[in-house]
Amino acid sequence: MPTKSIREEFVKGLWNENPVFRQLLGLCPTLAVTNAVINGFAMGIATAFVLIFSSLVISSIKKLIPSQVRIASYIIIIATFVTMADRFMAAFFPPISKSLGPYVPLIVVNCIILGRQEAFSSKNSVGRSLIDALGMSSGFVLAMLILSSIREILGMGTFLGHQVMGAWFKPWIIMILPPGAFITLGILLAIALQIERKTKSRK
Amino acid sequence: MNLSVRMVTVLTSIGLLSGSFLATVGLLTQERIALNKQREIEAAIIQVVPGTYSSQRLYEEKDLSVYGGKDKEGTLIGFAIYASCIGFQDKITFMLGTNISFTRINSIKIIEQKETPGLGAKINDREFFLQYWENKDGSSPLRLRKPPVSSPEDLGPSEVNTITGATISSEAVLNTVNSTLERLRLLLKEGKLSSEEQDAN
Repeated sequence: MPTKSIREEFVKGLWNENPVFRQLLGLCPTLAVTNAVINGFAMGIATAFVLIFSSLVISSIKKLIPSQVRIASYIIIIATFVTMADRFMAAFFPPISKSLGPYVPLIVVNCIILGRQEAFSSKNSVGRSLIDALGMSSGFVLAMLILSSIREILGMGTFLGHQVMGAWFKPWIIMILPPGAFITLGILLAIALQIERKTKSRK
Repeated sequence: MNLSVRMVTVLTSIGLLSGSFLATVGLLTQERIALNKQREIEAAIIQVVPGTYSSQRLYEEKDLSVYGGKDKEGTLIGFAIYASCIGFQDKITFMLGTNISFTRINSIKIIEQKETPGLGAKINDREFFLQYWENKDGSSPLRLRKPPVSSPEDLGPSEVNTITGATISSEAVLNTVNSTLERLRLLLKEGKLSSEEQDAN
């Protein structure tokens, strides 16, 4: 059944099937926590952790789960890893855990994770599912970093808390408010679509 | 195996496995999480009741805790009040430091807030809000100075500044401080805040 090479399986998550820019999945955390680079990055890593481990577990026990209860089983497994990530962050990174607030527990309902289990891990081998999860996670972290960098630099004039814009720069507060998230994502999606069209017409 | 039996077995075992797994994770992390919270509170107490050497919780109810700050000799030097109110966006949690009769405010520290960045979030900014709360007379209800003044010296002894564009956030904190101080003075009079009583427990 698998036709793609391992490399293709990984790279597709970065661009062709990038969860945020191409599949438009997981937009709730993407919009909500990208107001600072550290938040976006932490969210990306937490989601990656959950995605990778859920894919590993689900692809290895897929044959045992009757298809009628597969979604319920996936959600329990995903929720287990999410709770783990949440407790771990609260114990070892309290400031980040505080600023992400309810969005860590909400990873449970992130469509990227359930989507990958349903579309990939439940039909592919453990190895391939791991590569797929790694690719998708990298694509998600990348999208979070791009979005949060733009928003933090324009909204506060800082990058990871360090001043990067000169004194002449007046921060655009709107960029760190919810509208800024929609505007940035909209523009990035338009750019992604444009690039996609160009490469298609060249073929 | 019969399908329904298989469904029940699989779901039950997955549930049991993740439940026991999470119980372990919870046990391993709960101590550290509690410690983090306690550290944060202790740091805030020292900040709002300067000179605190040791502190002790004297009173607790929903959304309100009172800590007594003691100096090296064990004399009570002030109270730290951990309270919260509803701001413009979400709950604002803060620590207020007072003298031992709840009539004078040392300072205030915001512990948690999710107010609008650039407007209400300035309640966590010394320049715009916190410095106007230092050394205030709290024996009568505090009032908001509106429009705000640009220097703490221009305010009356029981006046605090409003943040321009964030009256709701400023008012929320002010009203809670006023009502809490009044309540605590009453509790103090009734003798419900003495540390000796708590020591016996």
